[in-house]
Amino acid sequence: MDLLVSRFHYLVAFFLMGVGTFVMIGDRNLVKKVIGLNVFQTGIFLFFIVSGYVEGASPPLLTAPSPYVSPVPHVLILTAIVVGVSLTAVSLGLIVRIYRVYGTLDEALIREVRGDE
Amino acid sequence: MSDLPPMLVALPILGAVATMLVGLVRSETGWPVAVLTSVLQVGAAGVLARGALRHGPVRYAVGGFAAPYGIELVVDGLSATMALLVASVALGVLAYARKAGPRSNPFYATYLLLVGGLTGISVTGDVFNMYVFLEISGLATYALVASGDRGESALAALKYLLVGTFGASLFLLGIGYAYVATGTLNMADLSAQLAEAGHTTPLVVAAFSLMVVGLFVKVAVFPLHAWQPTAYAGAPDTVSGLISALVSTVAAYALIRIVFTVFTVDFLHANPSAWRVLVAGSVASIVTGSLLAVSQSEIKRMLAYSSVSQFGLIVGAVAVANVTALTGAAIHLVGHAVMKGGLFLTTGTVAGETGARTVDDYGGLAKRFPAGSGVFGILAFALVGVPPAVGFVGKLYIVLGAIEAGAWLLASVIVGSTLLTLAYVARLVERMFFWEPEGEGRGDGGDGAKSASVLDEATGGEPGGASRGMKAAVLAAAVVAVVLGAAAFGYGQLIEPTILRLVS
Amino acid sequence: MIHVASVRPLGAVLVSAIAVALILASRGRPDVRESWTLLASVAKFGTVASMVPGVLAGQVYVTDLGPFLPGVEFSLRADPLGLLFGLVASGLWLVTSLYSIGYMRGLDEGSQTRYFAAFAGSLSAAVGVAFASNLVVMFVFYELLAVATYPLVAHDGTGEARAAGRKYLAYTFGGGVAVLTGSLIVLWATGTTAFSPGGISGLAAADPVVARGAFALLAAGFGVKAALMPLHSWLPDAMVAPTPVSALLHAVAVVKAGVFGIARLVLDVFGPDLMTDLGMGLPLAGVAAFTLLAASLIALRQDNLKRRLAYSTVSQLSYIVLGLAVLSPVSLAGALLHIPAHAFMKITMFFCAGAIHVETHTDNISEMGGIGARMPLTMAAFAVAAAGMAGIPLVAGFVSKYFLLIGTLTAGRAVFTVALLVSGVLNIAYFWPVVYAAFFESRGKADHKPVVEGEPGGRFSGSVATTSFEGGHGYRRAQREDWGRRAPTGAESTWLMLGPILAAAAGAIVLGVVPDAAVFLRIVRLIVAGVTGVAI
Repeated sequence: MDLLVSRFHYLVAFFLMGVGTFVMIGDRNLVKKVIGLNVFQTGIFLFFIVSGYVEGASPPLLTAPSPYVSPVPHVLILTAIVVGVSLTAVSLGLIVRIYRVYGTLDEALIREVRGDE
Repeated sequence: MSDLPPMLVALPILGAVATMLVGLVRSETGWPVAVLTSVLQVGAAGVLARGALRHGPVRYAVGGFAAPYGIELVVDGLSATMALLVASVALGVLAYARKAGPRSNPFYATYLLLVGGLTGISVTGDVFNMYVFLEISGLATYALVASGDRGESALAALKYLLVGTFGASLFLLGIGYAYVATGTLNMADLSAQLAEAGHTTPLVVAAFSLMVVGLFVKVAVFPLHAWQPTAYAGAPDTVSGLISALVSTVAAYALIRIVFTVFTVDFLHANPSAWRVLVAGSVASIVTGSLLAVSQSEIKRMLAYSSVSQFGLIVGAVAVANVTALTGAAIHLVGHAVMKGGLFLTTGTVAGETGARTVDDYGGLAKRFPAGSGVFGILAFALVGVPPAVGFVGKLYIVLGAIEAGAWLLASVIVGSTLLTLAYVARLVERMFFWEPEGEGRGDGGDGAKSASVLDEATGGEPGGASRGMKAAVLAAAVVAVVLGAAAFGYGQLIEPTILRLVS
Repeated sequence: MIHVASVRPLGAVLVSAIAVALILASRGRPDVRESWTLLASVAKFGTVASMVPGVLAGQVYVTDLGPFLPGVEFSLRADPLGLLFGLVASGLWLVTSLYSIGYMRGLDEGSQTRYFAAFAGSLSAAVGVAFASNLVVMFVFYELLAVATYPLVAHDGTGEARAAGRKYLAYTFGGGVAVLTGSLIVLWATGTTAFSPGGISGLAAADPVVARGAFALLAAGFGVKAALMPLHSWLPDAMVAPTPVSALLHAVAVVKAGVFGIARLVLDVFGPDLMTDLGMGLPLAGVAAFTLLAASLIALRQDNLKRRLAYSTVSQLSYIVLGLAVLSPVSLAGALLHIPAHAFMKITMFFCAGAIHVETHTDNISEMGGIGARMPLTMAAFAVAAAGMAGIPLVAGFVSKYFLLIGTLTAGRAVFTVALLVSGVLNIAYFWPVVYAAFFESRGKADHKPVVEGEPGGRFSGSVATTSFEGGHGYRRAQREDWGRRAPTGAESTWLMLGPILAAAAGAIVLGVVPDAAVFLRIVRLIVAGVTGVAI
């Protein structure tokens, strides 16, 4: 129980990853798959951020008193978020094209339209 | 000389920007810009490779921030090989793309972006940086796969995107674990710190598993390969040539880098289960990939499954983890890139010339398109591992390494994979040379309506005849595949110090 | 032995490889194309033969092309054993080239360019096998040989031919895989794979289990091409190939490459002493003895002449393997001498079968009653070769079998002597019916004769009414009670085919009458002395 409380943020991070994976694999709608992917990535981002967190520490500014929160994860995740956003943009662009061609976003229906490979 | 590593990454990305800008003024100008960039890139990579192979690793601290705090670029023999491979294959495929390819400027911009991303993965010495480049090249690949104007391309690209991003995210998560365990991201530093943290601690093991599984997805190791055949088959011919030659190859390089530079051989010794995962992945890929390849009816899908099988060999070499096997892995990475890229381009050339795209279409191909069949035959037998072609030499080193390490199961599977490869290659070769052509002639008779329309879409509406550039690129691949076999020993000696550093 | 750096071994390999390119380049002009084949075969034989005096004087010609793998040099070396095989293969290629031209044109076969190109390529690979200086280089050429001969086996493109081609590829590549693994184990255990007379010295120090494993893999791998039972079944199926292919490749170059591999293995990799220590000779000899008996028995039941010859080949190859496996100096000499002896005799017989096919389109022995009247010279040559096969004196087979018998006896392996004798009787039993049918069977008793109306050599004048053309070959087939009678003056076929038949038969006789004058016995003596130190 104590573990649960002290590692609460980690649990949230992994919960998000779980939800994301589930949506990504389980849902037939392509847009929702992309949303699932985003949720999954958010879980990872959260994991990074909390890993740098120190109880009672101040932000990593030289004017603030030590101990500092580790700044590196923040930097990394800023980059990762940018990557994530561009991925989402590309995937949504693809989805628009898929919708134009097949007229649906349901994976099963698309497979039906194409005939199976 | 000392500024070459960042130049190598920046050049193609600048080229990509330039392509876009030029495209604003005049359309269809991407090709010359891309060629110019690629030529410069080959030159730069060549100079760098010479330095790295002769005098040991070249290090460069980006922005003047020294490692382990700043991002470091490290070019050793293996990285240099990859950078040179990426640059040369990109140039070769450009020769093919002139007539065959999608011609828009954005296509060439993405093309160069991919080259930049792959080069970045090759030369970086920082794990997070590697992730970023992995995603950049991923993004570029998704866009390239989707550049065919069929719905199938977009769907394949989206599937690839979902799976690929998932894999990269796992990789990122693994980096997170490693960071939590050590507080550093520089590869060399990580390696020392991980050893200090203890190779058997759960955090370190989890980091290893996540990073390796993430890269397995990118390499397309069975059972995480499902995206790959769809992507290769759905992409335009030019693109499947490029990505089949480079994307998985560089991912496999990343796997070697992570396993040996970051986690080191000692980690494998300390964790037999990690070793077993590698062996299992290798064996499963080799066997299943070949069996699936035999059962395909579309040539490009068959070749894609063959890649799954071939990368099983590389993973096997990683599992063997000694100098001989890793030298073999380096040779096979280069060799496979040439052979598989060449085969995909040949498939495209054949489709351009005759419209044939399925195994059945290839019946009697030798009568309709003897040169193409000949090149296909040479590359295919090189892939099987018929000496003296490069496919043989790489495999030989890996098997020898496995025998040295006493890994008899792996050795026998890898040797046996020759026969599995033969199974799908012979099936095709027999059809090409010893069957009578089906239908009437050049693909517009019989089922021509279908294949001709497929052709239109795939080659960007340019059916009827393969260009000289296409044929030259394909022929060059066949020649290089054979010649490299002779050069392999010399290369093995050059790269030996690098490999020794990896496994020590 | 004195090592002499020379480009001649490499030249002997390359000359027909260059010919491949030239043949492909002149595909539109058959006469030019065929002259390349002839030129290459003369040049190849000349190059190989030019090394004979030097080798007999104790020199070894070496072409060193630099390292290929760590511990493995890519070098070609014409030592006595290699020269023996190289000489047989290149010499008989010369004869076969002429015959091929007659045969292929006579039947108006398709894809002749591919055929001649692949043929030249196979010869390059075969001579490469002969001159390879270590196991890995040998493997390289061994695989190339498999690839180069595949188009020849599947040449017809019929379902049967394709199936045979598939089987051929699967068997030979499977064998190749075993050879490769075995070679790499040897390389790992000793740090070298280079052949040295009497065996690689490091191997004796290796773990016996590993050494036995390597031997088993290598023997099985070479055994595929040497058609040891139970790995033989590709060979009879490969008889769908055009007859010159069966003649040169499936009686000389390819199958002998397998036997030659076993010879290298026994003499130059493991060496007779280590073979005895490991106890590997006896199992190999057992397999060989079984094969030579079983194959002879199966041969009795084959009606198709080429298939009967194929099983005879399976059986005869095992003579060689048996001689090698018994390990006594005399039996080694017999085995090695049987390589050229069998080559000359079997190629004669295949040539005869091909000539019969071209002239009369007859493939089955039961339809050959009285054919000796129609093709007297051909069938006489066949009878001579058959006598040699059975070990009758004055023909090549006698000398080598004599050595084999003495060798097995002196080695104290009387069982194998008996096996050899029984097989000799069976040889007579399966070849006699052919000779009997050809010369002594009365006209009326046999089946109706298919008769081809056309000029000798199979070429058809084209003036006969086109009522019953068959198979697009341009000949007319009719049922008749009798073969036409031809005088033994060469009118039975074209000289392009008849000449090679007579030349090969003459070779077999020369080998049998004056084995010392023919260079082979001297080479064999040199090999045996080099390996065992015993002069025969």
